[in-house]
Amino acid sequence: MIIIPLLNRKGISFLSGSFYSLAIGPVWITDPLIGLQTLLTTVKADSALLLSLLIPVALALVFGRVFCGWVCPQNTLSEIMDRIAERMPFKRLLTPRARALPRYIILIIVLAATLVLGFPLASLLSAPGIISVQTARLIYEGTVGLELGLIAVILLAELFLVRRVWCNYLCPVGSMLSLFRLKRTLKVFFAEDGERSCMRCGECGSACQLGLNPMIGAIYPLCHNCGDCIEACDKMAGDRKPLSFKF
Amino acid sequence: MNNKPLRPPGALPESEFLATCIRCGKCAQACPYGAIRMAGLLDGITLMGTPMIQPRRAPCYLCMKCTTVCPSGALRRTVKRKEEVRMGLAVIDKKECLAWQGTLCRSCYDDCPLLNEALTMDQELRPVVNDKKCVGCGVCENVCPVESSAIVVKPGGKG
Repeated sequence: MIIIPLLNRKGISFLSGSFYSLAIGPVWITDPLIGLQTLLTTVKADSALLLSLLIPVALALVFGRVFCGWVCPQNTLSEIMDRIAERMPFKRLLTPRARALPRYIILIIVLAATLVLGFPLASLLSAPGIISVQTARLIYEGTVGLELGLIAVILLAELFLVRRVWCNYLCPVGSMLSLFRLKRTLKVFFAEDGERSCMRCGECGSACQLGLNPMIGAIYPLCHNCGDCIEACDKMAGDRKPLSFKF
Repeated sequence: MNNKPLRPPGALPESEFLATCIRCGKCAQACPYGAIRMAGLLDGITLMGTPMIQPRRAPCYLCMKCTTVCPSGALRRTVKRKEEVRMGLAVIDKKECLAWQGTLCRSCYDDCPLLNEALTMDQELRPVVNDKKCVGCGVCENVCPVESSAIVVKPGGKG
């Protein structure tokens, strides 16, 4: 994210773009939410835009929402906030249970507003997009825009109000990605039979950045497939592997 | 900023452009002259994140790199030759223009990328804009020696 604008500035443009739309040489990758938004605002399909949606959609269909856990800069910032919040002498105000429905309602509202207004609202609500564009702007122009206000609000809310409120309850980019899920999409699999016994240590749940509990199941569509729970489980249960990735 | 901003070459008409541009910033990154800036919230929430060119700072040199990288088609990839560009139209303020006021000056004429086409000199060596040829790149506005530029591109929004 920081490397791209620096390279571009030196005239190396093999990699270019942001988390709205990225170019790796001749291959273009566009955020599916942004792609859908443009279909809605322009009511026509640009072939290059549609093609650039193939890779992220395929990636999500095979590996799940890996973008969120492995790529998204907002996720990284939120994780840092979470660490800080844990060390704070006070507790966050609210601890609602993670649910998928509110976030889909938000996604639908955003997309409906995009269609009605004919205005790319989702672009203004894409945290990874904002962060990457503003990083580039900082490097190019030495200034940042007030768009970063959204990021500041998210981080403060996560520090004081609700743990991981953006990623878990609100983010339309993540909601869109979580729609691309099949039966065979990579998942965190909890199996408890003779040889793979779980000792209910709960390490997986406390390792989860999002506060999900893989032992109860039903962690999708919220789970990012980041693998933290499996790593924690391997430490405790060793080779028995009650938790594992499975297609 | 109440006026329409000057868009990079190949841009769709303004209302369509605002709907199509995804604010990804690739055009600004692609511009080798740093001429494309991203509008901020202060420019208006509808403009926020869209690319614009301020010729007095840096004009468009019509290299057409930005049109090739636009992922959404807000900058039309079909606009390939600089002659096809219609970003806007240069307008001369004859009261300010040195040549029109009797001083010898041909800065804009000399630097126009469509030499002797978009800008021509009349019988008395005063610059005249040919509105059929002018692409609105803003090089003239950039080089004008008058304090606030006697030749200014009016954004045309026809790409």
